[in-house]
Amino acid sequence: MFGFGKTVSVKIDKDLHARVTKVADVAGYATAEEFIQHILEKEMLHFEDTKNDADIRAKLKGLGYIS
Amino acid sequence: MSFLSSLFKPKLGAPLVIVSGLPRSGTSMMMKMLEAGGLPIMTDSIRTADIDNPKGYYEYERVKDLEKEADKSYIKEGRGKVLKVISFLLKDLPDDNAYKIIFMRRDLNEVIASQNKMIKHRGETDESDDRMMIDAYMNHLAAVRILSRKRPNFEMVEIRYDTTVKDPKEAARQVNVFLGGTLNEKAMGEMVDADLYRNKKGATV
Repeated sequence: MFGFGKTVSVKIDKDLHARVTKVADVAGYATAEEFIQHILEKEMLHFEDTKNDADIRAKLKGLGYIS
Repeated sequence: MSFLSSLFKPKLGAPLVIVSGLPRSGTSMMMKMLEAGGLPIMTDSIRTADIDNPKGYYEYERVKDLEKEADKSYIKEGRGKVLKVISFLLKDLPDDNAYKIIFMRRDLNEVIASQNKMIKHRGETDESDDRMMIDAYMNHLAAVRILSRKRPNFEMVEIRYDTTVKDPKEAARQVNVFLGGTLNEKAMGEMVDADLYRNKKGATV
């Protein structure tokens, strides 16, 4: 899952980590880290998805706030 | 110490005060408050008052081209003044100025309801799905917060529209503290017109 890329450590709350580990196990992920990486990648798409921008741009044009 | 000198930064000059947020989140109300508080406004008054903004828009038309226009040197003219820039265009502000951003927040259901009414009044067509737009706006707002932390020349405070209407004095105090404490808070608070809070959550759209 992590391939050959470099990794860094991130601290998270202990209780949250315990919950993540439990869910990762039930969901079939090899490790909690693999699960966390998968979730983060999915969430990042929301911010990086340019379709969002296109929707907003169209709305703002209709409202007369951008040309 | 004057407002300008208290906020003066040697390299970037006096900061521009930017009023931002999604359209229909109380940006014009905040512009009016700041004007009453004693700050000069950068506006060309091209977009005049209408049914959606009976007290005027306080816009500077050229800002609408920020995303496309290469020459943004005119923004410098706003140093020490207040300029309205919608949240979507904050990313396009040039780096040669310092910005103190007052970011208006409002319930997204209310924002969408008000925007939909405005689009109708303008005679425009809009086929966007409200739920989808709320998701897009939520992501956009998160991206704006990230942007404000990444840009060293950005300083941002978030002010809620509903609490401003409910307690204008407190909102005026918060804004005044953020801008250095030299504004006329009383006059700012008196500018808030609760009757203009028309698209409340749960109200008929």
